Amino acid sequence: MNPHIEFSEDQRDCLQEVCNIAMGQAGNSLARLFERFVTLSVPAIGFVSAENVETELQELMGSLMVSAVRQAFFSTHGKEGLHGEAIVVFSDTNFEKLVQLADYHEGPSNAAIEQELLLDISNVLSGACLNGIAEQLEEQLGFSAPSLIGTNIPLAGILDHEQLTWEQAMSIKIGYRLEEIEFQCDMLLLLPKIAVEHLKNTLDFLLEDD
Amino acid sequence: MAMSVLICDDSNMARKQMKKSLPDEWDVEVSFANDGAEAMEVIRSGGVDLMFLDLTMPVMDGFEVLEMIKKEGHKTLVLVVSADIQPQAVERVKKMHALEFVQKPVDKEKVTNVLRQYGLL
Repeated sequence: MNPHIEFSEDQRDCLQEVCNIAMGQAGNSLARLFERFVTLSVPAIGFVSAENVETELQELMGSLMVSAVRQAFFSTHGKEGLHGEAIVVFSDTNFEKLVQLADYHEGPSNAAIEQELLLDISNVLSGACLNGIAEQLEEQLGFSAPSLIGTNIPLAGILDHEQLTWEQAMSIKIGYRLEEIEFQCDMLLLLPKIAVEHLKNTLDFLLEDD
Repeated sequence: MAMSVLICDDSNMARKQMKKSLPDEWDVEVSFANDGAEAMEVIRSGGVDLMFLDLTMPVMDGFEVLEMIKKEGHKTLVLVVSADIQPQAVERVKKMHALEFVQKPVDKEKVTNVLRQYGLL
């Protein structure tokens, strides 16, 4: 079996624009949550292998210590449709300031409030972005509840390659920054090879339409 | 003389979609740029009447292009075409003298309406 995923330049370009539009919608949701301007950058599409996932992740994300939340998504059309995992990675983030901004103040402890905020931001971003992608691809997605991987943990620790159910996956990195506040948050979508094959057919269909 | 129109977007698909969304039988000469830096070169080499400008691009983004057009005093009219739908983004580009903000994805109806609104059609 060839583990390599073939992806043409046209398919990449088309997916990038689909992600761009979805990112805009997610950015708008985030902007409303904090009443701040969100700076968007161009989505980055790449591939990762389970074997080298820790090193590849490091190259892709850069930062060393992060907080992260994961959420699985699946197609309501069946298990060969669009599916994968969304991991929201927070780095260089001033949570104290963020908690103030979002006006979250009821909780048993500061750590609990911070965790609630992490989960909420992840939910807002994954929901808006993935629904935005799905809508353009004419799919419908379901989501698992977001779960906290950890706060202030080494980046390499967010994925355990022994627990991955895929050998090769597509990675889509979508970054959000808040203006005037230390906040860097990257949404990493990981789509296993089987989901990418499905995605390619959908993209080809969109491209034909052109 | 035909109006000269520049479409600036880093996505090939988005450029095609933009061109397809221009009104039929509109007498214009269309050229393309992959990013803001390329667009500035075309503008400096003379005579872009109207530009459709994306915001999120590598090398030089749409905000920087707007700034540079103002700084260098070019007469090019700019319609921003973007997926960045934050109200603040709209406000900002209008302050930077963009004529109007068109939300992606574009279609013929949206583009025709905005061109009519500004008497460009």
